[in-house]
Amino acid sequence: MRIALAGNPNSGKTTLFNAITGSIESVGNWPGVTVARKEGEVKRNLYKKNEAIRIIDLPGTYSMSPFTLEERITRDFVRNESPDVIINIIDANNLSRSLVYTTQLLELGVPVVVALNKWDTVKQKQTDINTETLSKQLNCPVIPISAIQNQGLRILIETCYQIKGKKQIAPYRCMIVENVEHVAESDKKRFEFVSAIVTEAEKRKVTSDKQTIHDTIDRIVANRYLGMPIFAIILYAVFSISQSTIGPWIADYMVAGIDSLYVFAESAMSEAVSPLLKTLLLDGIIGGVGAIVGFLPLIMVLFFMLALLEDSGYMARVAVVMDPIMKKVGLSGRSIIPMVISTGCAIPGIMSTRTIKNERERRTTAMLTSFMPCGAKLPVIALFAGVFFQEAAWVGTLMYFLGILVIIFGAYVIRKINNDTSKKSFFIMELPEYRWPSVKRAFTSMINQGKAFVTKAVTIILISNVVVQIMQTFTWQFQLVEEGLEATSILANISSPIAFAMIPLGFGIWQLTAAAVTGFIAKENVVGTLAVVFGITNFINTEELILVSGSIEVAGIFGLTSVAALAYLVFNLFTPPCFAAIGAMNAELESKKWLIGSIAFQLGMGYVLAYLIYQIGTFATTGQLGSGAFAGLFTVLVLIGIVLLIITKNSVETTLKVQ
Amino acid sequence: MSKAFLMKGFQSLRGNPMDVTACEINELMTIKSIETIDPEMRDFLFSLGCFEGRTITLISILGSTYIVNISDARYSIDAQLAQAIKV
Ligand SMILES: Nc1nc2c(ncn2[C@@H]2O[C@H](COP(=O)(O)OP(=O)(O)OP(=O)(O)O)[C@@H](O)[C@H]2O)c(=O)[nH]1
Ligand SMILES: [Mg+2]
Repeated sequence: MRIALAGNPNSGKTTLFNAITGSIESVGNWPGVTVARKEGEVKRNLYKKNEAIRIIDLPGTYSMSPFTLEERITRDFVRNESPDVIINIIDANNLSRSLVYTTQLLELGVPVVVALNKWDTVKQKQTDINTETLSKQLNCPVIPISAIQNQGLRILIETCYQIKGKKQIAPYRCMIVENVEHVAESDKKRFEFVSAIVTEAEKRKVTSDKQTIHDTIDRIVANRYLGMPIFAIILYAVFSISQSTIGPWIADYMVAGIDSLYVFAESAMSEAVSPLLKTLLLDGIIGGVGAIVGFLPLIMVLFFMLALLEDSGYMARVAVVMDPIMKKVGLSGRSIIPMVISTGCAIPGIMSTRTIKNERERRTTAMLTSFMPCGAKLPVIALFAGVFFQEAAWVGTLMYFLGILVIIFGAYVIRKINNDTSKKSFFIMELPEYRWPSVKRAFTSMINQGKAFVTKAVTIILISNVVVQIMQTFTWQFQLVEEGLEATSILANISSPIAFAMIPLGFGIWQLTAAAVTGFIAKENVVGTLAVVFGITNFINTEELILVSGSIEVAGIFGLTSVAALAYLVFNLFTPPCFAAIGAMNAELESKKWLIGSIAFQLGMGYVLAYLIYQIGTFATTGQLGSGAFAGLFTVLVLIGIVLLIITKNSVETTLKVQ
Repeated sequence: MSKAFLMKGFQSLRGNPMDVTACEINELMTIKSIETIDPEMRDFLFSLGCFEGRTITLISILGSTYIVNISDARYSIDAQLAQAIKV
């Protein structure tokens, strides 16, 4: 049996999907989280029959009117793949809008069961909904459920069985379909029809148009002047907790564990084990992967805090606060949702741009959203904040705000390049009610993200580290690199020419360049490669470092000033994110020209930013310019020149076209 | 007397419908029309139950953003949209 889940955005489809299949698809307290259909199998303990039930989670849509072309996924799905039953999920707090879609679903000829979700909140608000009346009027079963509390799920699946193959007679039918005018007329009647049902079945204690506590909170957090500062303070708090207090505190224990593993493995390997294999295992695998896993607690604490924020409903308000600013550069508040998602991972962030209708806006967002620091970039941030800036929380917060600024600036440039002066697009967003975020949900979300992080560390990152270790151990003739002649290794040979171009940015050292380059595969590699090339396992506790690596402090090993370190960090964060994200960009941009443009833009952006930070910072701290200032200036000017050239060329072309 | 109130009086004198930006907060208004050349905007609003004959309440004004209540749900809309909804 195949069941499709359909309903309005934010009604809880994915929550239900996860609850009945045991999946871990992402859920968020704002509309537009799911953008592609997901399939899963219903858990066996929910029903008795000996038959597999497949369930399909569809993206949310407000209506199925034939004139909203973009929101036809559900319709197409039902037409082309004929599910046996449709579960129509409704936010029980909003019957008058949701039931309109229900009446449309009922016309498709597939048996429908209505799941009245969020029943827990209905009870809280003392709204009285008569499900029998609803069921009678709609001519289909209506089951109250709470996806979040796992209530009513068994009955829901049971009902699906009962109505499978049965005919339902739609209570409201749209008679004329040929003429768009008539459809509109008929749909207006549809709303009236629904209003009548709601009036009969629902008794609200407080009508929805009265001011509530949620509106009061909105007036503060989405305030024209206070909105941004509040957002900044919240981000700072999140960072200081995850990066400077609780995170490192847990991390210390974990790193101690990894260190003892290192020592244990070292002692366990007898003299007979070849030194080559030994370094590969110890420095390449335990060292490299361990260096990244050491940051796991910091990242998990951060994910936990972000999940709390998402669950509370605050993130939807961030979109509202940012909307006027985004409008100035040709985007809108809608571009904020992909950016928020990208703080976890850029790939789903890039995918979520699908909900943006305007093509230029969609592409611009897909191209820029990965500038937000994602989970993989956090170890890099945490490492540099820890080593060079005494674990200061401002470093992380600054990187997020820099990310936002770069996106705003990028959008401005892209609009200029496209020479798009078309009207601003409109912005509308449903505001979910605030609620106390659930520690349990945030915990689950944190564990899932943590798992994904570890999985990546022991696969891609592990392989990358081994390759880096081998490239560092051998020369081109496949001879072992001799002590003191590290510059003859394959890795050094490949990286050195690139390192040359990095001199104006303050880090023209082949080891650092190699790390930045491996970072294009996956950002965690930056930390892994640094661990391998400098032979350090413990990045968290710099005091213990002396014991482990037998050398002076990491900062000394890197041979960087704080300013150069910041430049290096910025370079890593604002150049192309990783292969997987570029793949996602390729899929969403649907244009080779845009893809190549994006990669070039990101490379240029990282370079220019790092250059400015290093040179200006060095001048401010020492009164002199950093090395390679003029060569770098030349490169930067050429890059800016190219962009200006394209802008002028395009604007002249448009002017000619107009004439 | 608030500006919105004056505006309302003025506009109704001239027989023009006013838009949501000039609404009084907390006052239930009936939508007269959606005036836009963008069919996408009209269709989207329609699917939310925002079209002539239905009701809308302005809940708060936050800078250039308007929070409104349409068919039992809260939405944040920008000035451009608020101006398109005539009441
Ligand atoms: N109180 C309550 N909240 C719920 C319930 N089910 C889901 N939610 C919340 O509703 C919000 C939206 O849930 P999702 O599952 O992401 O909704 P969706 O329908 O998949 O949304 P889109 O993918 O955006 O269309 C989340 O914050 C959930 O925690 C419920 O039974 N009770
Ligand atoms: Mg979903």
